[in-house]
Amino acid sequence: MKLTKVSVGLMMSALFVLAACNPATSSSSLTSSSGSSSAPTFDQSRTIALYTRDTTSGTRAGFMEGIGFGTASGNDSLLTDDFVVRDNTAILAAMGGADKYGIGYISTSSLNNTVKGLNFGGVAPTIPNVINNTYGLKRPFMWMLRAPFDFPGSTPTVKGSVELISEAFIAFLNTTDGSDIIGSAGAIGFYTGADTWDDVKDEYEVCEDDNSAVTLRLGGSDSIQKVAEALTLSFKAKCGNFLPDHDHTGSSDAYRRTNGTSKDQEGVGKDIGFSSRPFRNSGADLELDVPSAQRGQLAWDAIVAIVHNDNPLVNVNADILKRMYEKASATPIRTWAEALAAQNAL
Amino acid sequence: MKKIIVHFQHWLQTNQTKRFLDKGFIFLFLVATLISSSFIFVVVGIVLERGIIPFVTDNFGLGPVNLFRFLTGDIYLTGDTFYSVSYEIGYLIVATLYNAFLALLIALPIGVLSALFIAKIAPKWLASILRTTVEILASIPSIVYGLFGVTIIINQVYLFADGLGIQSRAGLSVLSTAILLAIMILPTITVVSELAIRSVHPSIEQGALALGATVTQKNFKVVLPSAKSGIFSGIILGLGRALGEATAVSLVSGSRFSGYSFNIFEITSTLTSRMLEGMKETQGVDYSIRFSMGLVLLAVIIITNFALNFVKNRIGNIHE
Repeated sequence: MKLTKVSVGLMMSALFVLAACNPATSSSSLTSSSGSSSAPTFDQSRTIALYTRDTTSGTRAGFMEGIGFGTASGNDSLLTDDFVVRDNTAILAAMGGADKYGIGYISTSSLNNTVKGLNFGGVAPTIPNVINNTYGLKRPFMWMLRAPFDFPGSTPTVKGSVELISEAFIAFLNTTDGSDIIGSAGAIGFYTGADTWDDVKDEYEVCEDDNSAVTLRLGGSDSIQKVAEALTLSFKAKCGNFLPDHDHTGSSDAYRRTNGTSKDQEGVGKDIGFSSRPFRNSGADLELDVPSAQRGQLAWDAIVAIVHNDNPLVNVNADILKRMYEKASATPIRTWAEALAAQNAL
Repeated sequence: MKKIIVHFQHWLQTNQTKRFLDKGFIFLFLVATLISSSFIFVVVGIVLERGIIPFVTDNFGLGPVNLFRFLTGDIYLTGDTFYSVSYEIGYLIVATLYNAFLALLIALPIGVLSALFIAKIAPKWLASILRTTVEILASIPSIVYGLFGVTIIINQVYLFADGLGIQSRAGLSVLSTAILLAIMILPTITVVSELAIRSVHPSIEQGALALGATVTQKNFKVVLPSAKSGIFSGIILGLGRALGEATAVSLVSGSRFSGYSFNIFEITSTLTSRMLEGMKETQGVDYSIRFSMGLVLLAVIIITNFALNFVKNRIGNIHE
């Protein structure tokens, strides 16, 4: 008897579950699902399914800043409802297979033909377009050195090992060896010449010494940490096994800890700082006043918005992407029809 | 030398020595039990110590987390990660229970019917093969189930939803989560139920048959009701696994950020999958809050267990 009651209860809950399916979505798209399955059909009335990386991701910061929505880099509550948080692999897999109506973003180095990489402002997301600075959805990776003779172990007239190794490291960035390592770490090397490290190493005699007691302090942007670590790991073997000490705390510290207020603070000062945005002067941080020989660019970090191959969308810009991702947008884009209309109005 | 051994054997056989050794072993058992049971205090203590930090400190100037809103709200975090304490997990508590009960809804009928087949209907050789198979299923690690879920289940759910004209997020959904959890708890329910059904006394069954019941009537009206206390134990164990599963769930749920939702084709999140998300790259209050969610999860599991045990005791005494 009780068992009957239990089974009736189970059936009731099953009905409840079925009733919970959203009737609005099921009825509105009945027309499209009846179309033939052989030709790729794309129902433009569907809602855009937004995919994003989590708030600790450097790619997310680059994307959000690139579309003029930097406040959303670390804040999920500003994003349009029902977004999906996934990692690089899962976003690629979702756009490449199951989710026909999704949009996401990945590092350009992960782009392949299982998904469609969207043009940004009419420019295709290719490596040549990133290097010639026409593709816009990207951010620069910059480096900055301490002032000459201001390194640990340097005297006002003689450069010490730390300074010489730092200079050699910057020279290494401008070789094909450096570019290759940057490429395999997920960014795009800025150097486009043909010099290898072997071509230039004679100018840096310090690399022939045993530097195993020399510590090189690197810091700045944490988005660059992975690239910087890959570079020092490879370069230490080429330069007397110096000890790289990575302490990445944020782009602003690239200037502050090499040339700014905290450059001489114990345990904080750095020999080389990295920034994942262009140098600028703001407040007390006069980054652009640092002589240009002490700073430069090592790489581009390019990001591409991706959709399913069946999606007719080909071109977006910062504004369109922001209107998709921003919850409080004044002119929101929520369906693919709206997105295509915005594309055609460009 | 031989003399010493003989002397030792003699010493071992005196009553005094035997009593002494008995006491020694009892003490050893006690120590072993204390070690194993004290881990509950160590584990809960550490989670508690870390988990209350967000509520009792001002989190380096951000202010304490509001406990009421934490337990009832439906936006996981308002504001910048690391710079806000506006955490709300009410919707995650509901979603965790919802996913687990849906999984139970799928797994219970299948599990109990398989148990009935293995225990009462299948020939002995087949029953032993099936029993071993189910036991192997119970020992498959959750990440392996997760890989199965992420390759097969979400794609099938996406196609199913698409067939109904419903747009799901790549198949990441309540339904995928429930199916995956159902597959994971099915062996537990089957194994425990099978044991309960097998231990129903044959005299009860013979009585039913002698009164003219058919075999099917006997199985459903006599065997299952007699075994329901044991079947309920299976439910409790299965639900425990479903509530606590993290790895596999995080691969198929889609990590829902806000809002109560009961639509089976929408993305979801459980307490466990949310705790896991970004765990490796976090710090401060965003790290401690995961311990708070752990405490909430413990509370949810304990309350569910007590509730089910209460029900079990109420319905379990009728045929005994």
